Amino acid sequence: MSDLQEQEIVVKVKRFNKEKGDWWQEYKLKVDRFTQMTEVLRRIKTEQDPTLAYRASCHMAVCGSCGMKINGEPRLACKTLALDMVKKYGKNEITLEPMDYFPVIKDLIVDWDNFYERMFKVKPRLYPSKEVLEGKAEHRLKPEDQRELWKFEQCIWCGLCVSACPSVRNDPDFLGPAAHAKGYRFLADPRDTIYEERLKILIDSSWRCTYCYQCFNVCPRDVEPVTTIKKTRAHTKFLTNKTPVANTGEKHIESIVKSIEDTGKIEEAKVYISTYGLVTTIKDMIYAMQNGKLKYALISEAKVKNIDQIRKIIGEEK
Amino acid sequence: MEKLSYDAIVIGGGLAGLMAAHEIAVNGYKVAVISKVFPTRSHSSSAEGGIAAYIEENSDPNDNPDYMSYDTIKGGDYLVDQDAAELLSMRSGEIVRIMESWGTLFNRQPDGRVAVRYFGGQTYPRTRFVGDKTGMALLHALFQRVSGLDNIDFYNEWFSLDLVRDDKRIVGVVAMEMKSMNPVFFKAKAIVMATGGMGMLYAHSTNAYINTGDGYSMALRAGAALKDPEFVQFHPTALYPSDILISEAARGEGAILINNKGERFMQRYAPKKLDLAPRDIVSRSIITEIREGRGFPGGYVGLDLRHLGEEYIKERLALAYEAALSFSGVDATKEPIPVRPAQHYYMGGIDVDITGMNSDLIGLFAAGEAACVSVHGANRLGSNSLLETLVFGRETGRAVAKFLESHTEDSNSLDNEVDKIVDDAYKYTKSESGVHFGEILNKLRNVMWDEVGIYRDEDHLKDAISQINQLREMSKTMYVTDKSKTYNTEFFNALELRNMLDLAIVIAQSALNRKESRGAHFRTDYPQRDDDNWLKHTISYLKGNTVEITYKPVRMTKWKPEPRVY
Ligand SMILES: Cc1cc2nc3c(=O)[nH]c(=O)nc-3n(C[C@H](O)[C@H](O)[C@H](O)COP(=O)(O)OP(=O)(O)OC[C@H]3O[C@@H](n4cnc5c(N)ncnc54)[C@H](O)[C@@H]3O)c2cc1C
Ligand code: SF4
Ligand code: SF4
Ligand code: FES
Repeated sequence: MSDLQEQEIVVKVKRFNKEKGDWWQEYKLKVDRFTQMTEVLRRIKTEQDPTLAYRASCHMAVCGSCGMKINGEPRLACKTLALDMVKKYGKNEITLEPMDYFPVIKDLIVDWDNFYERMFKVKPRLYPSKEVLEGKAEHRLKPEDQRELWKFEQCIWCGLCVSACPSVRNDPDFLGPAAHAKGYRFLADPRDTIYEERLKILIDSSWRCTYCYQCFNVCPRDVEPVTTIKKTRAHTKFLTNKTPVANTGEKHIESIVKSIEDTGKIEEAKVYISTYGLVTTIKDMIYAMQNGKLKYALISEAKVKNIDQIRKIIGEEK
Repeated sequence: MEKLSYDAIVIGGGLAGLMAAHEIAVNGYKVAVISKVFPTRSHSSSAEGGIAAYIEENSDPNDNPDYMSYDTIKGGDYLVDQDAAELLSMRSGEIVRIMESWGTLFNRQPDGRVAVRYFGGQTYPRTRFVGDKTGMALLHALFQRVSGLDNIDFYNEWFSLDLVRDDKRIVGVVAMEMKSMNPVFFKAKAIVMATGGMGMLYAHSTNAYINTGDGYSMALRAGAALKDPEFVQFHPTALYPSDILISEAARGEGAILINNKGERFMQRYAPKKLDLAPRDIVSRSIITEIREGRGFPGGYVGLDLRHLGEEYIKERLALAYEAALSFSGVDATKEPIPVRPAQHYYMGGIDVDITGMNSDLIGLFAAGEAACVSVHGANRLGSNSLLETLVFGRETGRAVAKFLESHTEDSNSLDNEVDKIVDDAYKYTKSESGVHFGEILNKLRNVMWDEVGIYRDEDHLKDAISQINQLREMSKTMYVTDKSKTYNTEFFNALELRNMLDLAIVIAQSALNRKESRGAHFRTDYPQRDDDNWLKHTISYLKGNTVEITYKPVRMTKWKPEPRVY
């Protein structure tokens, strides 16, 4: 075909092995508009350098093997066309690096143990009723419930969201976006029977996400892990014996709602005090003062004009 | 060498392996699942269109398991063992119910019951589905279920090298942890081969990169036979040029194939079933159109979805739409998708009976695409394979449990054998210079595509055999350049190539021997099906460099062969 747009590209791979440490290595090869990055890797390995190590299986974005950083972006190699990257970055050089956060084993191959541990913590399986399990009853599932759950079930355990999530890195008690997507998918399944146990596992962790939306941006299956975290938080009220983090988080939301009801706006200072309590607030204020941020908290808020309408909306939502 | 002991070992973490392991474990036995990839990365995750099942009270009122068996048998061009097809149909509804109860999110009808769609070769619609990612949905549900059981140990990213046997039975398997390159002898009384297919043997294939036919070759080297190894399925609609599968569901939902004149050419080849005729027929029709100049430049035809409407396409055929857009830059709501045939499935496999048991070696079992039970005969119907992995995965698991009940004596320890397996693996790749695996691999894939592909004849097959023999010779001095002791993928790729070469020679030789055309095996020099001479299974052994072939009757129950017209 004449419009294949064949072109030579340079691929720079960040290599690593135990024996030699890490280094950058360059390969040149010809690609066309259809060439996937997994195909680029396969051709490098079979035609130029058999020592290059990477993972790939399905080449159709369903197995979750080929996550890596391509020009610095967390992506699936199979779902990335070489020339699309060339066009996007305006140069014919593409860099490949292992995903962030995961320990590197060799070249682009990373260690998954910690990721899987988090996934298994959320009990990632349906616990159906005894009757159904024994074949004495049948599940019925509304088509709309199926559709809603399917969105979150499409997680392929590729780990890209986790590699991009700042909270996972900083907070060992945070389960991470993928595990939350999985956890919520079962929490919300009307066929499941261990709702309370799931709440206990998920709620505290759900308040540890910072809503930075990185997981949303990188997920190749549009799972929207952050959405599942939001939806999970909404279940906090059903949990007895909340942890401090969950308590704080829930209070934070309540006070935001109250503030909006009162004034139509979020009054940062008031919300802060009712969320964290007076002592913590004073401590934090001293910190804020030292960093020149206090002025934002002390701006006094005037009520918005159509406050009645806002209250009405909140009433309806409740 | 380190030694681990289990009641049974399952090699393969796809649908067949996990289902077998589940059954063995719930019967109280300790089982290890060895897989060269994390289970959810198995090829089963790629299956798109669906799983066939006759479900009582939730199927066409005129349908019944007999029709399903008949469709399967006719689709398989009468090479199907009819008792196996009957078992497959009978258990189909139950297996879907089980998978549903374990959480699979099947698409639903308005009343909440599992939905259904048409697939090629079905008299009544029977295909159950989860969008067009049915395999992924089933595999995750099953893996998640099985990961909650106590007496299964998973060895993920462990590469199995070879089976260990004494003079008549299975003793275990040697596998190597990929991360540490540490070999371990897994001792067991029973082994289930659930290693999946072999698409990488062909230059064009819809299969995952990891489908290198390891299980077939391990079984061959241990002395077990393959049944019907000449039967390789080609799928008519792989996306041009990346060979990503465009599911048969597309045609099931109403897409049509057109040539460069805009003609719906299937009218010429299968006037009744049209675009939904079985895969072998559609594949050959497309190749014929292209050869006679009615394809598009580059060598493909069009799969037209446009009349289905944007909303329908995006919901029911999301993956087809996505794939065309991401990998060919084609918006299927606006122009036809470019497609051509590619290798897709392997009907042949380790010779087993209806319980999954092999008769050459005591304690050897197989299930899924690695096995030939045979329910697909000369040509598999779409959505019957996912069904087979689960139904026969379960049957096999049960048979293993029964086997373990009566085989309680401890097996011999064969430490010498075990060391030899590791030495052989290394010996094979010990040269200090020479060709590396990639060179041989690329040649092999082209030979298989060009000469052991959709159309076959004596001259080409003979040429293929001599070329494969040369490649096997060449591989003896294969050179592994990477000396690293962690995750040496070059070493494993070389071992995969060894497996591919062992399998290739068996396929080519068996294809040369079958002098007729049946299902996916099409000989231009013998274009007719010949029931008088060839209504029988090929049984092939690999003895060193020679392929020894015998034959075995097809098991018939109710259905007499009739011409296969659609
Ligand atoms: C693109 C595509 C779409 C398909 N769609 C459908 C469909 O819609 N309906 C349908 O019925 N069928 C479909 N099929 C066919 C079906 O998906 C497969 O036949 C089926 O999934 C095979 O499952 P399995 O369990 O036998 O093997 P796999 O899922 O392939 O699993 C094989 C396992 O063996 C392991 N393994 C292999 N070699 C070794 C080794 N040396 N050491 C250790 N472990 C090893 C692998 O790691 C893997 O876990 C499709 C096939 C393709 C290619
Ligand atoms: S939104 Fe939450 S889960 Fe997602 S990346 Fe940010 S912190 Fe992590
Ligand atoms: S949520 Fe998305 S990015 Fe995260 S593991 Fe699942 S598929 Fe990958
Ligand atoms: S290779 Fe499977 S997701 Fe990329």
